[in-house]
Amino acid sequence: MKPILLQGHERSITQIKYNREGDLLFSVAKDTVTNVWYSVNGERLGTYNGHTGAVWCVDCDWDTKNVLTGSADNSCRLWDCETGKQLALLHTNSAVRTCGFDFSGNIIMFSTDKQMGYQCYLNFFDLRDPQQIEDNQPYLSIPCSDHKITSAVWGPLGEFVIAGHENGEFNQFSAKSGEILKKAKEHTKQINDIQTSVDLTMFISASKDNTAKLFDSTSLDHIKTFKTERPVNSAAISPIMEHVVMGGGQEAMEVTTTSTRIGKFEARFFHAAYEEEFGRVKGHFGPINCVAFHPDGKSYSSGGEDGYVRIHYFDPQYFDFELEA
Amino acid sequence: MPSIEYDDSKPSWADQVEEEGDEADQQNKSLEEYGTLPSPKETIKGNIKTVTEYKIDDDGKKFKIVRTFKIETRKASKAVARRKNWKKFGNSEFDAPGPNVATTTVSDDVFMTFISSKEDLNAQDQDEDPMNKLKGQKIVSCRICKGDHWTTRCPYKDTLGPMQKELAEQLGLSTGDKDKPAGSAEPEPAQPAQSKTGKYVPPSLRDGGTRRGESMQPNRRADDNATIRVTNLSEDTRETDLQELFRPFGSISRIYLAKDKNTGQSKGFAFISFHRREDAARAIAGVSGFGYDHLILNVEWAKPSNN
Repeated sequence: MKPILLQGHERSITQIKYNREGDLLFSVAKDTVTNVWYSVNGERLGTYNGHTGAVWCVDCDWDTKNVLTGSADNSCRLWDCETGKQLALLHTNSAVRTCGFDFSGNIIMFSTDKQMGYQCYLNFFDLRDPQQIEDNQPYLSIPCSDHKITSAVWGPLGEFVIAGHENGEFNQFSAKSGEILKKAKEHTKQINDIQTSVDLTMFISASKDNTAKLFDSTSLDHIKTFKTERPVNSAAISPIMEHVVMGGGQEAMEVTTTSTRIGKFEARFFHAAYEEEFGRVKGHFGPINCVAFHPDGKSYSSGGEDGYVRIHYFDPQYFDFELEA
Repeated sequence: MPSIEYDDSKPSWADQVEEEGDEADQQNKSLEEYGTLPSPKETIKGNIKTVTEYKIDDDGKKFKIVRTFKIETRKASKAVARRKNWKKFGNSEFDAPGPNVATTTVSDDVFMTFISSKEDLNAQDQDEDPMNKLKGQKIVSCRICKGDHWTTRCPYKDTLGPMQKELAEQLGLSTGDKDKPAGSAEPEPAQPAQSKTGKYVPPSLRDGGTRRGESMQPNRRADDNATIRVTNLSEDTRETDLQELFRPFGSISRIYLAKDKNTGQSKGFAFISFHRREDAARAIAGVSGFGYDHLILNVEWAKPSNN
């Protein structure tokens, strides 16, 4: 396969995300712009300009109308997807680490960092009520005193948010009452990324403890473990195959002391059921910070510490390959 | 008066070419000034779009850039199709339709490496780590105890070190003593001892120094008199080209094509050894004066090298 190389960022990529149909790919990085690309040919549709700090997270609602970004400039911004105009600016006390639209596209959540004497908060806004945005007053704000949230996604039916914490813990926060519905602690170190399956029944977590784990969204039951020998920065579940892809590599601070060949900067494909690795794709010359499957499962993208996003369309061999059990 | 001759002589063709280049530059500059560079052209033939652009770089050279695109038509849902027609915005506002080469490029081919079993994977990993290879080897060796550390860090430095020195001195004295009184008692062991210490030994004193050199003997090879020399070859000539050219004349035993060490390009001459002298003679008759790669080949008998 010939990957399409997207060079829209000047610093390391922090998150990439496809919209629901997969025709658009959003990418954010530690520079201040948010890029949106046509996934089919890598053409850049536009940029959302306005942030003044590293952008940590991006999300897009189901009908690709609005885009939400959270940044280290202590703000969370809502954009019009088509024109790139800023619709809302929500100021926070500390950096915004994760953000997301619920399935309806009406409620947004974002979490802030524990930083500069401020606590970590998980905030909920209802976009149908303009007053909330005008007053910058979330309808629900949940403080997380002990360990900050490092990754979060909406659970099924928009009832709760699954949050991964710095210490490897998972919490389900109810979007209505704010209480913790369920807890689990399967990881020993920070959870870098959480991504759900297409039907939101499962999610995969990528952790600094060198593993990625598959969980049931509602019960938080641990299903599968995928072991590697490096910290895992991101993991995604294939929508059509029983595969997961994981991106990682050693930590960015150690990159200069090892060669790329042994740095293990490949994207690694595991069989979801057998927990066995069956393929690798090279390309990045730094750790992979985020991976994402196209919703049709025929391509995937990865964004790396090297600042590039690569769109890979799978070769026919990938679909023919069967792991010998 | 050589200096005057120089002045009168015509400039070499290389200078001429350069001057012509300058003229062309000036033309280009004037083109630039008047803005009459050919405008970019776009032609669409079937599903292939060709974009031709003209550019002038910093040195004033004119470039023609031709890019070809394949146009694909894909069916998509209404929402996706509508989004495909959205106007670009932000930093891409002024980009032309289609991918901009500044932000989107196609990378080199990569393949997914499939792993069938875990053992393969581990073996591969070990190969990949260059440090692993060094692990088994001794990088440092102590001169005193032959251990795996620097001499200065040797734990036996104070005890073994002086002892060895003494021993060495004794040995040196004893051999010297022996040689003097006994004379021809044991001249042989002196040489191996020398070579062991790693000191320089002049070639005349080395093992076998008295024997005559075999490599330097005039050992003329039999096929030398069936060797031809080909000159005026073009720079792009390869051994395979020569093989093709000379094979029809008979079986070839050796082809030597002189090549530049650095560039690997041919230096313009080659030696071809045939098994039989008659074949070589026919090759000379057949190929001498033959036009090859815009040059006329010169083929003759190779003179025996005089060394």
